[in-house]
Amino acid sequence: MADPMHQFEIQKIAGLPELAFTLPGVGVIDMSITNSTIAMLLAATLVVVFLAVTTSKAAVVPGRLQVIGEGVFGYIDDLVAGIIGHEGRKFFPFVFALFMFILAMNMLGLFLVFTATSQLAVTASLAVMTILLVVGYGILRNGANMYKLFVPSGVPWYMLILVTPIEIISFLLRPVTLALRLFGNMLGGHVAMKVFAGFVVSLGAMAAGGGLGLLGIPGAALSLGGVVALTALEFLVAFLQAFVFAVLACVYLNDVVNLGHHH
Amino acid sequence: MAAETTPPPGAEIRDGNTAAETAGAAHGDHVPAGTTEVAAHGSESGGLPQFKFEYWGGQIVWLFLIFAVLYILLAKVFVPRLRKIQDNRQATIAEAVNQARSVQAEAEAQAKAAQAEIDDARARSRSLAADAKAKAAAELAVSQKAEDDRLQAQMDEAEARIRGLRDQAMSNVRGIAGETAQAMVEKLTGQKVTAAEIDAALTAQGAA
Repeated sequence: MADPMHQFEIQKIAGLPELAFTLPGVGVIDMSITNSTIAMLLAATLVVVFLAVTTSKAAVVPGRLQVIGEGVFGYIDDLVAGIIGHEGRKFFPFVFALFMFILAMNMLGLFLVFTATSQLAVTASLAVMTILLVVGYGILRNGANMYKLFVPSGVPWYMLILVTPIEIISFLLRPVTLALRLFGNMLGGHVAMKVFAGFVVSLGAMAAGGGLGLLGIPGAALSLGGVVALTALEFLVAFLQAFVFAVLACVYLNDVVNLGHHH
Repeated sequence: MAAETTPPPGAEIRDGNTAAETAGAAHGDHVPAGTTEVAAHGSESGGLPQFKFEYWGGQIVWLFLIFAVLYILLAKVFVPRLRKIQDNRQATIAEAVNQARSVQAEAEAQAKAAQAEIDDARARSRSLAADAKAKAAAELAVSQKAEDDRLQAQMDEAEARIRGLRDQAMSNVRGIAGETAQAMVEKLTGQKVTAAEIDAALTAQGAA
């Protein structure tokens, strides 16, 4: 089957009708176990297993595995501390969980058949969750001062007429861009890989027909090279998008944690 | 790539068509029987399978559940554990550095003490040498003085003796001269002169 979109189909693995519930205003929520659920569960399990293995034998002089675990930990810790400052520590578990979870889902997508982060439902939920945390914490901490988020200090009033609507729109677009960036990257990458892989098969089939179809062989070889190159690129993208998501979460959190004083 | 667009007749290429076919088929297959309303909504969007909204609710709820569990595990177990490891390491390093610093300070103090001891010993030996020298000099001076005095006494004594001898000799000279004069006078004049006369003459002569 050479349909590049087939990989994004949600497939029910186990129907759980007893878990289904009706959300008022939305409808019935089907809690069946799907391939998406499995991918998310696997990713979360992978993160937990990774951290459990790397921190099981905690030693002052770390072993190889511990170095990896501590490396990832230190990487995100430095990121959070660097962007948010010393107050970033309380957001570190959230950002770390976000990064690890997205990275695991992206990586699993390259090894297994389904990528949870290529589902807009997943990326949008993660983005909305992040923005809700930003807004919730911002209001809790700054109260009515939250308006400063849209009214940059030191800007003359006539400029504010222009700047404030732009700031509001850009803030409202944050969850959208956050969701679409990850979704689009994962979707595009996997579609491209599947398309090139499909070329290999179809051109190979054409070559098998003999005659002029033999011209398909170099094309198939080229496509195969493309798949290999794209796969390498996708590993980079998988890491990069998880990283970008974590960085942007930190940047947005920093906006409300250090509201009014830029540093 | 060009080869793909010109398939030979008879070759079985089902690329373009099957995509739509399977998408449609999958669509039909996966619409849950009980949820026609949601299914209708999903099929309206068409295109990407991601926009079949009947699966959104389940995915979102599952995602929040899984993420919540993951977050709690990380926040309560793994992050504190990793933080503890790093804090432990930092504490260990700081402790070792402090220990090394104190040992170094101790060694430095000991070296200083040893140096001071050496200096002290040197000063003591120097003063001892100076004392000894001074004592020796004093002793030498004393003994020299004693010797000088003794020699001086001897010299004085000798001088006195010489003076006595000379005086005696000088008095003898007078006697001899008197006797000689007495004898000469006797020989020349044939008269006897007394010693007293000669002595008187000598005294007069000596006084002249």
